[in-house]
Amino acid sequence: MSVSRISALGAIALSGALALSACASENTSTTTPAGNGTSAGATGSANCFSGDLKAEGSSAQKNAIDEAISVFQNACTDANVDYQPTGSGAGIKQFIAKQVDFAGSDSALKTVPKDGAVESEDAAKACGSPAWNLPMVTGPIAIAYNVAGVDKLVLNADVAAKIFDGKITVWNDPAIAALNKGVTLPATPIKVFFRSDESGTTENFTKYLKAAAPEAWSYETGKKWTGKGEGKEKSAGVATATKGQDGGITYVELSYAQQNQLKMAQIDTGSGPVELTAESAGKTIATAKQTGTGNDLALKIDYATKEAGAYPIVLVTYEIVCSKYPDAETGKKVKAFLQTFSSDAVQSQLGEKGYAPLPTEVATKVQTAVDAIS
Amino acid sequence: MSAITDERRPDDASVPDDATPPGGRQGRDALRQMGSPHRARNVKDVIARVVMWFCFFLAMIPLVWILWTVISKGAHLLGSMEWWTGNQRNINSDDAGGGARHAIEGTLQMVGMTALIAVPIGIFTAVYLVEYGRGKLARAISFTVDILSGVPSIVAALFIYAVWVTTFGLSRSGFAAALALVLLMIPVVVRSTEEMLKLVPNELREAAYALGVPKWVTVVKVVLRTAFSGIITGVLLGIARVMGETAPLLILAPYTKNFQRDLFNGNFPTLPMMINQDRGDFALATAAERMWAAALTLIILVLLLNIIGRVIAYFGSVKK
Repeated sequence: MSVSRISALGAIALSGALALSACASENTSTTTPAGNGTSAGATGSANCFSGDLKAEGSSAQKNAIDEAISVFQNACTDANVDYQPTGSGAGIKQFIAKQVDFAGSDSALKTVPKDGAVESEDAAKACGSPAWNLPMVTGPIAIAYNVAGVDKLVLNADVAAKIFDGKITVWNDPAIAALNKGVTLPATPIKVFFRSDESGTTENFTKYLKAAAPEAWSYETGKKWTGKGEGKEKSAGVATATKGQDGGITYVELSYAQQNQLKMAQIDTGSGPVELTAESAGKTIATAKQTGTGNDLALKIDYATKEAGAYPIVLVTYEIVCSKYPDAETGKKVKAFLQTFSSDAVQSQLGEKGYAPLPTEVATKVQTAVDAIS
Repeated sequence: MSAITDERRPDDASVPDDATPPGGRQGRDALRQMGSPHRARNVKDVIARVVMWFCFFLAMIPLVWILWTVISKGAHLLGSMEWWTGNQRNINSDDAGGGARHAIEGTLQMVGMTALIAVPIGIFTAVYLVEYGRGKLARAISFTVDILSGVPSIVAALFIYAVWVTTFGLSRSGFAAALALVLLMIPVVVRSTEEMLKLVPNELREAAYALGVPKWVTVVKVVLRTAFSGIITGVLLGIARVMGETAPLLILAPYTKNFQRDLFNGNFPTLPMMINQDRGDFALATAAERMWAAALTLIILVLLLNIIGRVIAYFGSVKK
């Protein structure tokens, strides 16, 4: 009785505080635009806008989008583009909650129900128009490891699945040794690091394990890790942890493995060990099939590919956009920025940052789709 | 027990007390005369002293360590003019340096807005509780403040998210984060102001009433005036509490590398979020350096505010 009265009082006090703050908000918002000082005209390029563009999502594409943002902001001095690398799951949630203008995700929006909600339908509801998945960057996923004295390591899907499932626990396990003849493997225990946050990298990696080693990997695929090991936050977290732990192994985007100077395993798909390069990853992307319709360019990757010289663990990171924004101004901003991002000039720079360029035919389709955003 | 009774009568010559500060010889004499009880007391004294100093140094270790780490790793970026004038626009994680002006301004602006809302509410609540409040309402408010002071910052942030974003459909902004910080700051201000007001002697109030001064004038001109320096200290504690708070910012105020002076629209730069952003790329020397420098800047800001507050409190306090 008294408790409910007290909580009622608390509610009154809080609503009072909110009412006060609402007044404050009105007062101040009228004065702020004057102090903003960004009214100077945009520079030459027709695609520039002045104002903010907000995006959030996959940390796998952070280094790529940072590069694109630099290029865009250098051309457009009045434009502010922000990207929060909080993970694919968070990005899609914020996009559906209309908190960001577009989302970055390592996997296309789900079209089947999960936890009672269908991502693509929710996104379409938030947009008031169908949401499109636009593949923008392809990032090879490295199996990065840190074992003292081992500079070259070959794994196949089966052995990798057993390592990440905790069934193989030491580095000199006969299964690993069989793939690495002539390499002296130490008896160091294997320490698996996985992404503790919801991540498209996890989803793509588990999809690979499931597709290429269905017997050894019995878990479902998904953004949450279901195997064994120790969780670390975000791509940088697993990369840093692996770097600091002898015997450590993780799955991480090539760009992070390169930044942290981690050694990367070669993958034997059945036709010989394949080293991870932009080229070998590009071969797998080229075999991908388009599953979306029209300008929705969701791709399906063949993880179990046995093509010679193709590195099978790749992810395609998408920009998730509204086909027609409720606010036309926002649509123009998204379009302007993505035109820069998908341009050949920017795409060709991304190779240096550890990403693989989109195959030409996909790139052309993406550019067409970006032009159709309104 | 015996130590207390002894201390209460240090002047009593018949029981010489070795605890009397300068009485070295007297104490030793007493020790010789009285024998073991004093020796035991001396031993206790030494043990207590050692334990106290040991604990003091133990408590100092993390403080000095943190300061040393932050200063040694972050100080040299602060030496550049760019740090104080520029922002992080087009500075990617593998680029060195850049500025922190955007985050410094953002933090000050956000905390300023927080204080603007929280300080009046906090002080008026405390005045009500001490000067006016009686009975159930006062007890209920006091209880609510207690609960509020126990609310973790992440819960305050999620509450504001639920109200601001989910219910009203507004977007995340610096102001939304300031609202969450208000929830964290109010109880600190209320509690400290309350304590200060209670310290004001009742005689002062009675003297004012005796002169026919109305109650509200007494509160404004006598009670609040007397407690002024204490209230300022409380407000500063509150500000220090919320300035480095990160959870509400993570949820309510996405970071931007650009200057952003609009609290109500768009992403908002703050020092804790800048630290968080660079923490994500900790393995890169460039980002790590920037992270330490931003941490040091935040510490300096809190320190500066404290000093300013002390100065205001010193000049504003009632001269005896």
